[in-house]
Order: sequence, then structure tokens, then C-alpha cells
Amino acid sequence: MSLFRPLLVRSLTMVGVFFVVLLMLVLTLGLTGFSDRILAATIGEQLRAERTALAETIRDPDEMEKVLEKRREELEIFYGLRTPWYYRLPRTALRVLTLDLGEARSLRSFDGSNRVFDIVTERVPNSMLLLTTSFVITAIIGVIGGSYLATRQGSWLDRFVSGFAAVSFAIPTWWIGILFILVLSIQLRILPSGGMYSTPPPTEPLPRFFDLVSHALLPVITLVLVSFGPSIYSIRTITLNIAQEDHVKIARAKGLPESRVRLRHILRVAAPPIVTGLMFGLAGSVSGSILVETVFNWQGMGRLYYDALAGTPDENVIVALTFIFTLMYVLIRIVLEVLYVFLDPRVRYTD
Amino acid sequence: MSRANALRVLLRSGPGFGGVSLLCLLILVALYVLLVFPLDFGESQWSNPVVWVDNPKAVPPAWTNTLRREARPPHRIFEGAEPHTVQMARSGPVHSWRFPLTYASSHPPTFLAVTLADVKYEERPPLVLISLKRPDGKQLRIYRHAVRGPREGESGPFLRYGQTPLRVQLSTDEATVTAVQNFLADEFDLRLDGAQIGGRVDRFLFGVPTGDSEAAFAPLTGDYEIIVQAAMREEGDSVGKIRFVVGGAVFGLMGTDSLGRDLARGLLFGVPVALFIGVIAALLSTAIGTSLGIASGYLGGRADITIQRISDIVANVPVLPLLIFMLFIVGPSLWMIIFILVIFGWPGLTIQIRSMVLHLRTNQLVEAIQSLGASRRRVMFRHILPQITPYVFAQLIFGAPAAILSEAGLSFLGLGDPSIPTWGQILEAGFRTGGIYLGYWWWIVPPGLCIVLTALTFMLLGLGIEPVVNPRLRRSPP
Repeated sequence: MSLFRPLLVRSLTMVGVFFVVLLMLVLTLGLTGFSDRILAATIGEQLRAERTALAETIRDPDEMEKVLEKRREELEIFYGLRTPWYYRLPRTALRVLTLDLGEARSLRSFDGSNRVFDIVTERVPNSMLLLTTSFVITAIIGVIGGSYLATRQGSWLDRFVSGFAAVSFAIPTWWIGILFILVLSIQLRILPSGGMYSTPPPTEPLPRFFDLVSHALLPVITLVLVSFGPSIYSIRTITLNIAQEDHVKIARAKGLPESRVRLRHILRVAAPPIVTGLMFGLAGSVSGSILVETVFNWQGMGRLYYDALAGTPDENVIVALTFIFTLMYVLIRIVLEVLYVFLDPRVRYTD
Repeated sequence: MSRANALRVLLRSGPGFGGVSLLCLLILVALYVLLVFPLDFGESQWSNPVVWVDNPKAVPPAWTNTLRREARPPHRIFEGAEPHTVQMARSGPVHSWRFPLTYASSHPPTFLAVTLADVKYEERPPLVLISLKRPDGKQLRIYRHAVRGPREGESGPFLRYGQTPLRVQLSTDEATVTAVQNFLADEFDLRLDGAQIGGRVDRFLFGVPTGDSEAAFAPLTGDYEIIVQAAMREEGDSVGKIRFVVGGAVFGLMGTDSLGRDLARGLLFGVPVALFIGVIAALLSTAIGTSLGIASGYLGGRADITIQRISDIVANVPVLPLLIFMLFIVGPSLWMIIFILVIFGWPGLTIQIRSMVLHLRTNQLVEAIQSLGASRRRVMFRHILPQITPYVFAQLIFGAPAAILSEAGLSFLGLGDPSIPTWGQILEAGFRTGGIYLGYWWWIVPPGLCIVLTALTFMLLGLGIEPVVNPRLRRSPP
């Protein structure tokens, strides 16, 4: 019971988040008349196609108009343009909930499908590859560096890392990526400037893997460089706060070996907030990667967003992506909440 | 702590001093821009190609010449209104302008262009002639233009090129190419066809043949003179403005982008815009966050639960995708960006303020005032708010860089407000048009540095203020 209640409250909050976002999407699409415009455009396109097909059989222009008008009515009913948006869009939202994401107008998946679902499922692993790699590296640097710095409070290194963390907050990650491209790919020609594979991509598995690594190097370095400072700093601060608590003093006073004090009495207590912080970072980087992927032309979800926005915008893809970003974020957060309740026994009693 | 004392503590800390001085600098620049630039700078100048037509495209700043072994040609603009000399000829007065040009670069100019404006004549149209006198004493006429005569039914005096000045790009002008062709044949005995000359007129005009091959020319340095003559027919005829541009390969303090826009001006205009975004967004979200936090903590009960649930939810909404979505649907506008940043920016503060207020409402001061019969609003805003003000102030400062970075990111995705140029938009243009792959660093590095500098100003200010706000952090330096 004690475990169940906090879990329930937290999951409900995240479900609330999800529905609030969904509601906002629906309201924005409906109130601005945007959804009606898309549907009207789709119907117009279909009618134009049918007109050319019908021109083969129907010669009389008046009859043609009549047939087309009837067809327009059918289509408007079929697509739901005749029903007001506040009936139609919630249904669309429910459809989207079952991951039926509709079709893209101009974007295609790598093998040519125009179903948004196909396009997205192709891109998610690419995004994950970039994010997970840089997240793991950042987390390792953060935990090691943070727990080390906690023992060196006030040293020049400590002050340097604090300053560096503060500066990191003021730097747009994507701009650092651009600088890397400018210096390392354009001027020095050490690493490729973007994309995931060279053209043409190597066919052998091993060269292909190394090709991918060389392309992933710059974006990963960019992501790690900007996030490892804050990561170290926050872990250091959490650890430091716990190290000053009474139970640690008692443990030391009992004469326990320092390594045991650090592992059992400090890090164990610090683990839940650290894990939360790291997971927050992961959830946050889901959207943060939009810009980095755009800069490095990394064929992930973020770059897909940019492609859907630039040029002739692809509304369906944009709606679907916003939805999926929210969904991914919420899922990560729910996993995190569950994990947290298990990690930190205190939550079960205080919530 | 008294106010003067707080300021002293702030200025004595390294980050505090840095933050305050940077902020002063930014405010000074912003004031300068507000005084000098038109408020509709974005629409009337930045996105108006006519303004930038005489600038070289995508060239680095002028000061890069000091770092280069071979200096690139500087950008030269000669303008004349009143004629330098007026001579009487048989046909009428001849107005002439002489522009001396010392050419020292080892590269030819990037283009030559001439602009005529406000030509007035009584009866018969004037004739405009432009010649170039070279250091080697050779002289050739590079441009000849007969101003258009009276139309049928039109009566004098006639005004030409008043609304839209006449601009001619000499590098590609057919008559100029022919003139250069003849010049090369007469002076150097070189017979080149039009295709070999077209577009490269500058190289021949400002060079001598090297003899290696037919079209190989080495730049000729020395004192040139551009002579503009307008042969008038009557006393009162005049050319209002004449402008001759010798296109350079470096420009101004910050160079130009691929449309020839002066990047220094765009960067300058970005200062007040960024400050405005940061301050307004931080101010509004702090105001909302603080008042809801106080209300939640002090009122308790159902209000507390409602506010806490709502802020829990809003705090967890992934902002960037939603921002992109809303801007895409509603259309890019600076106000929309600020609005969304504000409505998603308050919950963190609300949660923190609430816990502080929960603590404060039990202290004796508040209890004493309540027992004196003060209204709830009075207690909240006169007695609780002042106690948390320093903390709120620090949060306000930390809120500004987040807003500035968000706007920059959105602009970079192409969702910036097109009527107001920002640093993010300059970067976006550089990225979208491939400027980064061509190595146009002056287009990419400075706007980013501006963003970082402005965000850093607020970060430093916040770091400097923290010890003032939070006495527990105030400790003697180790």
C-alpha cells in the first residue's frame, strides 16, 4: 500500500501532463482553423486528381461539375469537415493514441513509405543512439567527477568546475556543434560535418560501424561537452549536502573505514536524487536533441522536425512528432518515478 | 542587509562584478541602438534587399586584412551630389566629379556599380559619362548613359530616377564589356571575346597582362581616378546624386552575409531585442510563479492542492516541442514566443516559493500580524513577500538566460519573428544557406558569442547575487 500510493500519484501526474499536451494540441489546431485548412487542402488535392481521371469518361462540363460537387460532399463527410472541429479532433487524438499517425504529405521514409509511423520508427533508433551514448558518457563523468569533487570542496578544481557549469548553462549546445563543424570539419577536415554515413556508405559491417562512429563523434562530443559540467556540479552538491549530515559524522566517529562511509553512508543516500537528476537530463535531452540533430544532419527525430518545418511544412508530421516527443518524455518520466520509489524507501512513507 | 551593503557584496565577488559591468555595457549598447536605429529596423532595413544592394556579398570583416598576408581589397563607396567642377561646353554646362582611388590590393575589386538619382532637366536629357584613369596613364570610358527623354504628352521640367534610382552593375553591363574589349585590343593588342570579359571586367580594368596567357592579368596598384561627367543642355539641369561603388572583399566591422547585409548592424540590433526577451519573459514568469507560490503556501487547503497539481503538470510538459508546434500553427511572432515561455516558465518557482512560505507563515511576525487582524492579502503581500524578495530576485535573474537561449533556438529552427532580427535568426540564415560549410565564420561565430555573452551576463549576475540573497553561502574565500 505504502508503495502503491506514491506511484499512483506520480503516474497520474504524468498522465495529466500527457492529456494537457493533447488538449493544447487539439485546441491550437481547432481554434486557429488550422485543421480545417489542412482537410480542405487534402480534399482539394483529391478532387483535382479525380477530375483528370473523370475527364476520360465524362465529356459534358456541366455534368462533370455536378459529379465533382457530389464527390466533394462525400469527401467532406468522409474526412469529417462537415462536423465541427471539437467533435472531430478528439476522435483524431484518440486515433493518434493508438499510434495511427496518418500520412506525410512530402516526407518519405528511407524505403519510400509515406506513413508517418514508418518514418518515425525509422528515426527513433537513430535519435536514441545519439542520446543514449552521450547520456551514458555524461552520467559516468558526472558520477565519478562529482563524488571526487565532493571530497575536494573549495579546491581550485572545485571552483573551476562550478564556474564551468555556470558557463555551460549560458551556452547554446547547437551553437557549440556549429563551431565544431566550422573548426574540425571545414577548416581542419578531421571529422565529417554531418549525416550518419559517408556517401556511398560502406557495405561491410565493420567499416560501416566505424563510419557511423566517425559521424557520431562530433554530435556526441558536443552533447557531452555542454552537459558534463552541470552534471558533475549537481552530483557534487548533492553528495556534499549528504556528507555534512549527522549520520555520516556518526559513521566516521564509529571509526568505519572511509571507503565504507563513502559508499554505504553517502553514495547510497545520494543515489535517488542523483538518479532523478540523471533521468531528468535524459528526458530533457529528448527535446534538446532537436537542435543538435538539425545542426549535424543526424537522421533522427529532431532532424525530422526540422525537415517537416523547413520548406513546405508537413503538418501531419509536425503534429505526430509533437505527440511522440511528449509520449517519449512521459514514458521516461514514469519509468523514473517508479525507479525512484524503489530506490528511495523514504518516499513510501512521506508522500 | 542594507541595500548599499548588498551592492558592495555583489561588486566584491568576481562573478558579481563581471555580471554588473557586462550588464552596464549591454544596456549602454541597447540604449544606443534604440536612439540610432529606427524601431522598424527589421522590416524597413534588415529584410529590405534595396538597402544592401551596394554591399559585397558574404565577405569577412575589414580588420581581417591585418591578419592576412595578402590584403583583400577594401570596399569603397564614392558619393557626389554637388558637382566638383562645372565647365561650359558648346552643348551646355558639363558637371563633373572626380573621385581619386588609391588601389593597393593584389586582388581586383569584386564588382563595380554606379547609381544615378534625381536627374532633372528642362528640355533635352543630359548625357552621363564615366571614365577610369589608370596609374599607367591609360584612360578609358567605361559607361555612357543617355537619360531617357520626354515621353509623349509629358511636359518639363522632367525628373528622372526620383523614386527608383538607376543602378547599373558595370561588371556585367554589355556596353562596359564592349568598352573593355576595345580597350584591351587598342592598348595591349589582346583580342578577347565578350564571354571571356563578361563578369570579370574588374580584373582587366584594374590590371595589366602578365603575358602568361591571353586572359591572365595581374592587378595594377597605384592611383586611379574615376571621372564622372554629366553633359547638360540647360543651366538649371542637374544630377541630384551619383554613387560609384568599387566592390571590396572585406566589409565593415563584422563583414556581410550572402545578401550583403551589414552583420554589425544586425548584431547591434539584437542587443535590445535579447535583453527585452530575457527581462520580460523572466519578469512575467517570476511574477506568476511568486504570486501562485505565496497563495498556495499561505492559503493552503483546496487552493494549495489545485495550484500544486497544476504546477506539477505544467512543470513536466516538454516545452520545446510544444513551442515549435504552437509557433508553427499560430505563425512566428516574438510575443507568442514570450507568451509560451511565460506560461510554461512559472511552476518551478511556485513549488519552491510554496515551501518557503509554509515555513514563514508559522513565524512569530506573521502570527502577530494575523492576530492584529490584517487581511490575508495584506499578510501575503506586505509581510511574506518582502521576506522572500531577495530569493525571488535571484530567480528572476536566472530566468533571463533561459528565455534568451530558447528564443535563439527557436529562431535557429526558422521560427523566429521575421520582422525583428535576432542573433538566432542571423545564425539560422548562415546555417540554412550553407554559410557554415563555406567557412563563413564571421557570420556564425559573432551571433553565437553575443548570445553566450548575454546569457552569461545574467548567469554571473545571479551567481554574484546568490551570496547576498542566501547568507549561508556567504563565507570567506578559502
